[in-house]
Amino acid sequence: MRKLLCVVTVMAVFLMGVAMAEEVLKVLMPIGGGYTIEDQEAIAREFEKDNPGVKIEMEFVGWAELWNKIITSIGAGAAPDVMYIASRWIPVLADMGAIIPLDEYITPEKRELYYDMVWDTVTYNGHVYGVVRAMSTKVFIYNKKLFEENGVKIPTTWDELLEAAKKIHNPTKGIYGIAMAGKRFVSTVTQFLQYLYANDGRIVDEKGNVVIDKPNAVRALEFYKELSSYAQPGIIEWTREDLIKLFETGKVGMYIDHVHNALKAIEKGVDVGFFLIPGGPDSVKRYSTVIVTDCIAISSQTKKKDLALKFMNYMTSFEKQAEWDLKLGFVPPMVKEKDLPEFQKWYWKPYIEAIKYGYPQSAGVKDWEGTQEVLLDAIQSVLLGQGDAKTALSQAARIIKILQK
Amino acid sequence: MITSRRRTPYILILPLLLAFSIFMLYPLYKVVESSFYKASFLNPTFRVYVGLENFRWLFNFKVFDPRWSYFVAALSRSLLWVGGSVGIKVVLGIAVAILLNSQFLAGRRIYRTLVIIPWAIPWAMSSMMWAWTLNSQFGLVNSILLKLHIVDKPVTFLTTAKSAFLTTMVVDAWVGLPFMIIMFLSGLQSIPDDLYEAATVDGASDWTKFVRITLPLLKPVILTTSLLSLVWTFNSFDIIWVLTRGGPIRATETLPVAIYNVAFLLTRFGGIGKASAMTMAQVTLVTVISVFYIRTLRRGVEI
Repeated sequence: MRKLLCVVTVMAVFLMGVAMAEEVLKVLMPIGGGYTIEDQEAIAREFEKDNPGVKIEMEFVGWAELWNKIITSIGAGAAPDVMYIASRWIPVLADMGAIIPLDEYITPEKRELYYDMVWDTVTYNGHVYGVVRAMSTKVFIYNKKLFEENGVKIPTTWDELLEAAKKIHNPTKGIYGIAMAGKRFVSTVTQFLQYLYANDGRIVDEKGNVVIDKPNAVRALEFYKELSSYAQPGIIEWTREDLIKLFETGKVGMYIDHVHNALKAIEKGVDVGFFLIPGGPDSVKRYSTVIVTDCIAISSQTKKKDLALKFMNYMTSFEKQAEWDLKLGFVPPMVKEKDLPEFQKWYWKPYIEAIKYGYPQSAGVKDWEGTQEVLLDAIQSVLLGQGDAKTALSQAARIIKILQK
Repeated sequence: MITSRRRTPYILILPLLLAFSIFMLYPLYKVVESSFYKASFLNPTFRVYVGLENFRWLFNFKVFDPRWSYFVAALSRSLLWVGGSVGIKVVLGIAVAILLNSQFLAGRRIYRTLVIIPWAIPWAMSSMMWAWTLNSQFGLVNSILLKLHIVDKPVTFLTTAKSAFLTTMVVDAWVGLPFMIIMFLSGLQSIPDDLYEAATVDGASDWTKFVRITLPLLKPVILTTSLLSLVWTFNSFDIIWVLTRGGPIRATETLPVAIYNVAFLLTRFGGIGKASAMTMAQVTLVTVISVFYIRTLRRGVEI
């Protein structure tokens, strides 16, 4: 019995010693969509090496479960110190008081590193709540062979875009003018937003008014529906993430996606070209794109704010950011990154050029998840022919107005 | 010594009781408790007792469709979906079990082993597999249908309200069918052969033997198995979530999917209190159906 007591005491002292020697920082990170455990663990180990006595405990959750994980852990009072979040969640998390404003910790030098538009994506009620870790712009990826065979020129207007899809579309041969998404998923909403923003439409305007039912928005949804006539059948079963599988077959004229997916198609032997998303008939802008960002935020429940800030700044330093963007194929959010040799390659140019035409994915939207549900109802009902765009968006606007209160 | 022997069963059962309390009773208590509070993940520190307000909300929340409350619409879909899926499982389960029990079927041991595979695969994986099997461009089903000239263009199984509802139901039936087959098969094997032999001597047809011998003697197994299947199917979430996420529009948004949406996505309308009230309603409904079933089962056994 005495022996056992001695062993237990020694082990307890040892474990206490270990615990006291290390300051543990809990970090929540996503996996999937190119994010691997190995890549992210490597950053943690490097940070630990540079900061003896610090232990980074990373928890990994699939993108689809990340939102639930965040809000349940906050609700249980067990939020991680540092969280990787989609910037569209900032308004809800900020209103909850779940993440801290970072204004006083962002140095002027840090601020200058990024495009102004990038800061807009992480700003809510005049405060910055995150530092961007990943950014995307999107452009049309097109199959040069199909364009040439059908005598199609690069579209610069919506009419030309429709005409191009029409000319290429030959479903009897299994060839589709365009690939589109319609499944209940965030990327379907973002695909529609590409056309909404291109036509100068918005979900919510700068003054906070819900304007998703305005004529330019209705025209954008009508165009989405019209364009779908020249898309693969059953677009309701497709997410944007799956469309690359279809494009890789060489039987799709064009679609909107990331550069890293374009590279996959090139590897498969598709002769790929790019063009910017043309502005719609109601827009004065020539081109458009939706700016989507993910960011690092710090939990208001953390008791290790300084360490959390240090880790956040480490992850988002110029070197680490550039390394990350090149590894995952994301558009650089930092201005100087575009001067790096890799970003001079031909396939990066349209994505970097698109930044200046970009508009933040969730600008002004207070409850993204609820709004997304409502917009998906509207998009799907129009695609299925169950309602017209005007009625669907009026219904959406009515509900989003409640969500914005 | 006697005291110690008396104590042993309690000590042995203690871990189970502890696990049951922690993983079943406590969460159930929290659900019951939360259903009387206004609470949301969006504001963890705010919690107000609202009595039966959340239960009234179940019938008053008509933001998406003024004709039906969100809960009633999801419940109606659930009842139809569960009824269809369990129905398919029972009918096909009996048919396949009879086939696998037949002495004229060569290699039936191999089939009996193969039939359990869908049950052994995690449901989410099965759903992913089906999502691609049914895909209009790359799916195996469409490939076969097109090659056999049964259709002249790909069938889009998950893209209309009706087809998505039926497809998710069939996939759920596919996942749950092996359990039913194995249970029915064990039931069939317990029926004495001499009953069939006597019926044959009396000149009974195969159909008469099925109706007069097989079905009555299999009734307790059918009722028990279908009760279990009913409870599981009512709680089924993964299959619909992976295949359609409750769409198109809200055509496959059954009660478990709706509860998830109210708790996590429609947080400004719903929240954890209202999601708990929905869960309570579902648990009550399933319990009532189960009690009805168990009573029927007892009568069946007495016969």
